[in-house]
Amino acid sequence: MNLPRDSGPSRREFLRHAALAAGLTSVSTTLWGTEAAATPSQLPPVESPATGYLSLGPEEAAFVEAMINVLCPADELTPSGVDCGLAVFIDRQLAGAFGRGERLYLRGPWRPGLPQDGYQLPMAPEQFFKTGLAAADAACREQHGRSFADLETTVADSFLSALAEGKIAHSRMALAEWFNDLVYPLFIQACFADPIYGGNQDKVFWKMIGYPGLPAVNGLNMVKYRGKPFPGARHPKSIQDFS
Amino acid sequence: MKPLPQRSVVIVGGGMAAGLLARQLVHQGIDTVVLERGGDHRAEAAGRIPTQRDELRWDIRLGLMQDAASETYTLRRSRPEPSRPMRRLSAFLPGTGVGGAGSHWNGQVWRWAACNMALRSHFTARYGQDAIPADMPLQDWGVSHEELEPYYDLFEKLFGVTGRAGNIRGKIMPGGNPFEAPRQNEYPQPPLETTEAGLIFKATAEREFGYRPFPSPGANSTGTYVNPDGMRLGACQYCGHCDRFICEANAKGTPDALLYPWLERQAHFELRRHCQVLGLDYDRAAGRVRGVRYLDLITGEEYLQPGGVVVLAAFTMTNTKLLLTGGIGRPYDPVKGEGVVGKNFCYQINSGISIFLRDRWLNPFLAAGCTSTIMEEFDDDNFDHTGLGFLGGGSIGVGVISGRPINARRLPPGTPRWGTAWKRANAEWYAHNCAIGVQGSCYPHRENYLDLDPDYSDAFGLPLVRMNFDIRENERRVSAFCTGRAEQIARAMGATQLGPVVPRTSPFDTRLYQGTHITGGTCMGADPATSVVSPRLQHWDSENLFVVGASVFAHNSGLNPTGPLAALALRLGDDIARYVKNPGHLS
Repeated sequence: MNLPRDSGPSRREFLRHAALAAGLTSVSTTLWGTEAAATPSQLPPVESPATGYLSLGPEEAAFVEAMINVLCPADELTPSGVDCGLAVFIDRQLAGAFGRGERLYLRGPWRPGLPQDGYQLPMAPEQFFKTGLAAADAACREQHGRSFADLETTVADSFLSALAEGKIAHSRMALAEWFNDLVYPLFIQACFADPIYGGNQDKVFWKMIGYPGLPAVNGLNMVKYRGKPFPGARHPKSIQDFS
Repeated sequence: MKPLPQRSVVIVGGGMAAGLLARQLVHQGIDTVVLERGGDHRAEAAGRIPTQRDELRWDIRLGLMQDAASETYTLRRSRPEPSRPMRRLSAFLPGTGVGGAGSHWNGQVWRWAACNMALRSHFTARYGQDAIPADMPLQDWGVSHEELEPYYDLFEKLFGVTGRAGNIRGKIMPGGNPFEAPRQNEYPQPPLETTEAGLIFKATAEREFGYRPFPSPGANSTGTYVNPDGMRLGACQYCGHCDRFICEANAKGTPDALLYPWLERQAHFELRRHCQVLGLDYDRAAGRVRGVRYLDLITGEEYLQPGGVVVLAAFTMTNTKLLLTGGIGRPYDPVKGEGVVGKNFCYQINSGISIFLRDRWLNPFLAAGCTSTIMEEFDDDNFDHTGLGFLGGGSIGVGVISGRPINARRLPPGTPRWGTAWKRANAEWYAHNCAIGVQGSCYPHRENYLDLDPDYSDAFGLPLVRMNFDIRENERRVSAFCTGRAEQIARAMGATQLGPVVPRTSPFDTRLYQGTHITGGTCMGADPATSVVSPRLQHWDSENLFVVGASVFAHNSGLNPTGPLAALALRLGDDIARYVKNPGHLS
């Protein structure tokens, strides 16, 4: 069993500088891989071996990283979304069974429906995600003259709000549905799923809300902490902690 | 197709209903085989720590559910409209594998109020001949609560059901459900602990309104328990991973924990896993089903399993599908209002109100599938419907069952959807919210029915079942009424803030989970013109064919359906044992 390890924002900040010093352009994608070489004797091993992207190309990754850092800015509650592993989570989901359409009925005939009919397109989620990413970026360049990844944070935030509210038109793509029904749920899952999937690194979102995670053997706690603060909420445990 | 040696009883589906009726048959020494399309999940990652506690895999990605890529359902809300498949299963979630959806249920076990068994007679007697609208084909089930009571009792003992009796042999018991029909015995185990939110709800409902809430009964074991077959349960650990999860602590009464392991140790019983049933071999002239055709998923070959008796005990939808594809019984025709197969398809009409209580530690993760606090004042016909303009009602309660952080977080209205303010709201409210939920009844409507979709097929080349369904006027009124009652209590609970009050309405939304409590399609009754099976669950056109499950319900109530489903399945086991010894029409 691995013991829980603490690697807070300050260590990540150190790694960021280390990566930049090494001339690496995409900080988030190289963080984990460079760590051992950086200071092998002083730092504990990293929590996740995740390095680089499987599904996202460089431009796609730039969009996703910029978006994730707007959705989850570094603040007193968590490091930035990228440093929390949220972009890696999304990439892994797209590259895996979910992205390829597991548990999704993909036979015709194809008929557009009401929103209440749910997803009715022939594309698997990875393909739909990337198509939307390209469409949103094209709309962004048209509106702002720049790619989404190059927008100021406040402008990027407003652009995402406009996307969610259906205010960004595209000739073929329903971008609001793309954002609200695919992108946003992936963001939420990235934050709150077990860290073993690459997001929620250091259980930072579980700590933020006070979800104690595993093992959740609460036969006595049910009465002892009914109506009271739960001490375990400050030190959540994840699958890795019991593996 | 390879024929196999005949078996006395062949059961389609290895879930709750099949396990219970097989248990009765095997106790009476009757040769029984169960055909189940899936395998066992208990020894897999789903049933072991730490992987059991994986919300993404089992809850969000539905790792234990029927694979929609292989088989799903289509929907159209009115007949002129083209159907569309539910490309992801979301609204309801059939299981697959030994135990069926019962393997990963919450465990809530109710005895339905006695009036449900004869609802048409009941409403007509109380409100007059014109009380039931012409487009609402309510019908009596042809069985009485008194006939089912011993089987409810047996099910509660087999599954170690916890709860507090409300009515023992006519005496109203304090702390239980005062609307309960008379029962012979107290529950086998005392109720689970009540949550903090449940205590607040109970105190408010009693003090402000004079309602009588009580702990929800269910198959989450309070302590260690040994059932009449010698099968054991451990004590519930309140881990908040019941629905959609397998209980690794063996504290949840499920068919795969309590029925099939016992059955497989008995002579004359076989559970044949990984067998996808494709159809029934029906001899129309003789009025008999010769056997069941299935694809063995291990060998890739098709077989015919002949049976002296064949029982459909699969998921609601599948029972209807196999009758329709087999051409057994007249399909329902909504235009003429004739025919029976697919008729009286019902759902439930559920709604909820989020409640935010800044100063109370509600700790939603200290919970189990049956740690709800429920009241029955506005369910069924427990209140006077005169002048209300609808029939039916719903149970109302605080159903704290999990604090799983992807799905069980609630945020106050007006919270931004991301950014620092969103994070602060999550941190502020996660431990300090709950919801009052309404589980509303759904009565049959002439246009709500099942048939075979002409355009869509499953992975085995069979047509998908098409749901012709929407939330009709009666159910919209039920939801508005019950949600309004829930709102009154929510406001009295001292909430810092409430979420939006949104009764359920049309169009039916396939994206939202609304419970797997779908019923009907093969309904039971005393009249062959309006029912598929007799009150003994024997098919009217095929003497050796029986159907069991929520598909035989003639309507849906405001409570979980497993209690009556289980009682009917146990009773059917005894009835088929009679039939095997002395075949013929069972009366």
